[in-house]
Amino acid sequence: MKTSWNETEQIELHLSASADTGSALLFEAKLLLDPILHDKVLWQQKTYVAINNYGRRQLKKEIEAVHQQLFSAPQHNSFRQKIKRLFTNL
Amino acid sequence: MAATNNTDNLPASREAFFIRLYKKAFPLVAKYISNRGGTFDEAKDVFQDALLIYYEKTIAGNLAINSNEVAYLSGIAKHLWIKRYRENSLNIPLDGIDINLEDDGANPSGHRLMYFLETAGKKCMELLKSFYYDQLPLSDIAEQFGFSGTRSATVQKYKCLEKVRETIKQKALAYEDFME
Repeated sequence: MKTSWNETEQIELHLSASADTGSALLFEAKLLLDPILHDKVLWQQKTYVAINNYGRRQLKKEIEAVHQQLFSAPQHNSFRQKIKRLFTNL
Repeated sequence: MAATNNTDNLPASREAFFIRLYKKAFPLVAKYISNRGGTFDEAKDVFQDALLIYYEKTIAGNLAINSNEVAYLSGIAKHLWIKRYRENSLNIPLDGIDINLEDDGANPSGHRLMYFLETAGKKCMELLKSFYYDQLPLSDIAEQFGFSGTRSATVQKYKCLEKVRETIKQKALAYEDFME
């Protein structure tokens, strides 16, 4: 299987439109001739979306952990009381 | 304070960053929402999403250096709350914060895929997240993940990208509902 990280890098440069003009033209020509490469570009695009979603999920978990810490650790008692007073249902 | 100085986007300093913002801004947001008949869970929900939006904006360098972080963060949270829970009331447009936080079913964000990436593909995903989502400099990534230098971190990043790309493709083709 002819895959290499250089090709993955080239796909990235193509998708982010940051290749220089010569390389960009060459890549576009390759893309027209090579359906496998075309396929890789499409899946790589989906991969960036997946990485972003993964990043957000992990960040949400970190934020929730901070929330749990603030609403349970003894050293944050006064903060917790301040919030509790605002909501009678707590 | 912007998080572009490579400190707030490292895991340990991120925790301190969120604790500080929670303590400074959450009481204001909670008071605002409570005064308007909202609940604690609503306040928590919008505040956490506001923190995420604020974090993404700081790493992207989209904030003015001297912008008041508490005012800005509270503004995002209030705006989200009005949009979500008081849609029929006054809708104050606030440019640039309408980020869609929901996973889109058409995108590779399905629960099965995410579960798979969080377990089997975790090592690569953590590396890719540090680079593309947290936008850490390669030198920090090399240090954090134990690579000999930025060159080696770059090669590993592309190898991981390729591996995850092939995994997503294979799984998506094997299970029709993988991406849903």
